Amino acid sequence: MILAPEEAAQAIRSGRISEPIRVAGRLDLKNFEGENLPSALHCYELDARDSKLTGLPDDLKIDSRLVLDNCNRLKSLPEGLSAGSISLRNCSSIQALPERVSTWFLDMTGCSQFETWPNAGTIHNGSLILRNCTRLCQLPSWIERLAHLDLAGCVALREIPDGLTVSSWVDVGGTGISGLPPSMQGASLRWRSVRVDERIAFSPTQLTAKEVLAEKNAEVRRVMIERMGYLRFSQEARAKLLDQDRDGGGTRQLLSIDLEKDEPLVGLSCFCPSTGRQYFLRVPPKMKTCHQAAAWMAGFDDPSLYRPQIET
Amino acid sequence: MKRNLIYMDAKSSKFWNIDQAGNSFTVTFGRIGTDGQSLTKSFPDEATAVKEAAVLIKEKLGKGYVDTAASGAATGIAVTTVDDHIPFIAFSSINHREDISENIGTFVGRRVIDYDPEKPIKPDGVYRFRSDWENNEVIPNLEKYLESDEALETTALVFGAWHGDDPDQTSNIIVEALVNGKDRLPKLAALYIGDITSEENEMSWIKQSDLSPLLPAFPKLELLRARGGDGLALASAEHGHLRALALETGGMDVSVIRSVCTAKLPNLEYLELWLGTEEYGANYTVADLQPVLSGQLFPKLKYLGLRNCQRADELAGVIVNSPLLQRIETLDLSLGMLTDEGARALLLMPLNTTLKKLNLHYNYISEGLIRQLKALPLVVDASKPSNMDTDDEWRFVAVGE
Repeated sequence: MILAPEEAAQAIRSGRISEPIRVAGRLDLKNFEGENLPSALHCYELDARDSKLTGLPDDLKIDSRLVLDNCNRLKSLPEGLSAGSISLRNCSSIQALPERVSTWFLDMTGCSQFETWPNAGTIHNGSLILRNCTRLCQLPSWIERLAHLDLAGCVALREIPDGLTVSSWVDVGGTGISGLPPSMQGASLRWRSVRVDERIAFSPTQLTAKEVLAEKNAEVRRVMIERMGYLRFSQEARAKLLDQDRDGGGTRQLLSIDLEKDEPLVGLSCFCPSTGRQYFLRVPPKMKTCHQAAAWMAGFDDPSLYRPQIET
Repeated sequence: MKRNLIYMDAKSSKFWNIDQAGNSFTVTFGRIGTDGQSLTKSFPDEATAVKEAAVLIKEKLGKGYVDTAASGAATGIAVTTVDDHIPFIAFSSINHREDISENIGTFVGRRVIDYDPEKPIKPDGVYRFRSDWENNEVIPNLEKYLESDEALETTALVFGAWHGDDPDQTSNIIVEALVNGKDRLPKLAALYIGDITSEENEMSWIKQSDLSPLLPAFPKLELLRARGGDGLALASAEHGHLRALALETGGMDVSVIRSVCTAKLPNLEYLELWLGTEEYGANYTVADLQPVLSGQLFPKLKYLGLRNCQRADELAGVIVNSPLLQRIETLDLSLGMLTDEGARALLLMPLNTTLKKLNLHYNYISEGLIRQLKALPLVVDASKPSNMDTDDEWRFVAVGE
């Protein structure tokens, strides 16, 4: 039975479907309350974001887009799931992708439990977005050439297997990846969406405050400072001393560094009273004193109300 | 050796023939439909004549001329009769950004004439119907034209501004009038709805409508071109004959892309989509174009244009992996925001395929990468308008508003 998208959506929402249906357009099942969809459903696109689905029928057929964003009860997907693009953003219960999954575009941003790849699948040509998949420790070697590979925020990921290729860029921001495999040499690099070079991404100890200050692009400069570490940057960049006092850890300094076309970088340099380690904590540029900065970090807009008995 | 080349765009339709024999060659050139003029040049020996001819041919091909033999195009005057299909090169209209600021002078290789009910109809012209602010006679004039004997032989029509003093007037009035008059236009093969410059109406202000009723009404239609994205729709499009679809917008709604992807157009050879920017309504992602890029649609496609596109870099990264490159002849990413990132991806393009031409006119690519692109064994147009602002921080597509 061929149904118009609106008719199909209405019939499925009211549970009045007993025979195979074909939907010629985009089936809108946003916020769908059911746990599963009727079997033998074939549509051009399915948008079931924000729904209560826990799974999908084995015989579901999607031609173009499958959108399941924010389906936080969705636990598993059927074997052989195939679509032009699959979006699973913030599907926080998904731990594994199904065997023989096949797509050009896969977006798993915020799938915080995702860690298990199938033994075989086809992901190629388009974009693989794994942003903030914090449990993910590895990538499978069966992934074919992609256009874009976004691994930003995959904090547990330490390497990209040799053999993987991208025609455009790979984003390694915030990962533990220390270099590209030979198969990816020459790929454009990004650090949380900012275009960076190999030194910034993989050799941050080589960066100097001088080259950071000479960098004209404010976004690149921000990433460079992040990669160098605020502490080393503030030490090398000859920061202006705005204020100085003492706390439990010893001498505390409020430092400011002027940046071209950006607000000044102001931060509190202090020592941890317990470990003795030195930190540089960035604060808003309007801060005038160390005490005011410490109060702001503790959530006090009025520094006079911040009177800690002890700072540990 | 003889080569016959033709060129067509929104302003002109020209031919350029070269006939080399012995130590000389004769070049004949001019407007299609005229005899043109001839020049003969002699050289000390045959080898030099052959070499010089090859240089000229390469130069012409670089400028967008095509070989009539290669494109299967008809030469001479009768380029758009129904039996004699529209030559492939005539499907394109806006080649360079400056073409957008003027109304078209030619359409499918023929001179465009503004319809004047007081004047006799010339059979070799293509008639344009349009309104100005003072008087909107588009529909009455079209109805008058449809009553003429010439209407029955009409193969191409152009519609300019149709809104008169009512900015909300959509192109639906034209669609309805054409569908009602379909029996008077049995040979209609080419239609342009929206030959409107920014001075007449900004691209984003043009009120389009659902154009799909035109398809069943005109079974011989080969080319449908429209400008303006607001209200544009192409619901359940189906046509057994259509060879070319061109939709020019400053921001394309994803529903239009979906309609194109689900359309049944088995003969489509030419697909030109102006995708535009978010500022003017573009709400698609590259994933929405996956059905086109997968190569499973349009088995006869020879030209793919994804133009005026904010996401040109992202698209380029995916396109170089597309199986479509194994079977199309021209890839057009012009008028968009293509930068070095997209250019680097394009350098990974599979070679030894059917692809012959890469149009990247109006881009933000640096000189070094343009040189590398030009070294590809393809005809590459990576030109920039002379007044292009190549500022690093402020980039925009060729036409938004």
